[in-house]
Amino acid sequence: MADVPASPGGGSHESGDQSPRSNVREQDRYLPIANISRIMKKALPANGKIAKDAKETVQECVSEFISFITSEASDKCQREKRKTINGDDLLWAMATLGFEDYIEPLKVYLNRYREMEGDTKGTVKGGEGSAKRDVVGVQPGSNAQIAHQGSFAQGVSYMNS
Amino acid sequence: MRQARTYSGILSGGVSGKTGPHSLPLARIKKIMKKSGDDVKMISGEAPIVFSKACELFIEEITLRSWIVTLQGKRRTLHKDDVAAALIATDIFDFLVNMVSNSSTSCEDTPTMET
Repeated sequence: MADVPASPGGGSHESGDQSPRSNVREQDRYLPIANISRIMKKALPANGKIAKDAKETVQECVSEFISFITSEASDKCQREKRKTINGDDLLWAMATLGFEDYIEPLKVYLNRYREMEGDTKGTVKGGEGSAKRDVVGVQPGSNAQIAHQGSFAQGVSYMNS
Repeated sequence: MRQARTYSGILSGGVSGKTGPHSLPLARIKKIMKKSGDDVKMISGEAPIVFSKACELFIEEITLRSWIVTLQGKRRTLHKDDVAAALIATDIFDFLVNMVSNSSTSCEDTPTMET
């Protein structure tokens, strides 16, 4: 009897927690090692070398870092009854968890991105506007099509009768 | 004309904007974010962008701290043990200590010899 109520909730949770972890392909769990390696090399002097096991360890750590920060940000969103984790939630989580040194460079980065995005959005919006106009322009045509279909249906019914 | 902007960080956001100017793939970051918990369902477009830079800072910091350990050992190649030592020595990396101590059990044996 105890098994029955446990299986719908507990059972599905377990399978959701465990089986993907082992089945999930490596490329879904980690960032590409080439990118990690590039950033690591940039931080070292030219004569510095990096062993493969060190790269792999850092690769694992980065995924852990993302999860660590995301969980904290997600908790905050739940407390505040919001559904979407945004950039500011992540900055808050990083500051809370001891990464306050990252906040300033991240704000600078984000602002530069927003400025850039603002520029491109302007052109994208223009494109959308013209696309909408096209849709509006098409509508009479589609109406005509429906009218045509109507006459076709009439033709069929005429033939059937 | 060679366009320096294309190769210099943030301004290089290509036409596709997929990887864009960021040094780490945003789609992959988003996947890892979604795996961090069942409650993580909606993620704003800016969140992976924040992480692409944050991870870069994070990797740089770990690498530099590990490199100091490498140099202390009068070596020129950064190994996993250096990373492990750097993680253990740094408070904000406490959440990562399990990862390095679980896999490299040899680390636990050697310190008893030194002291």
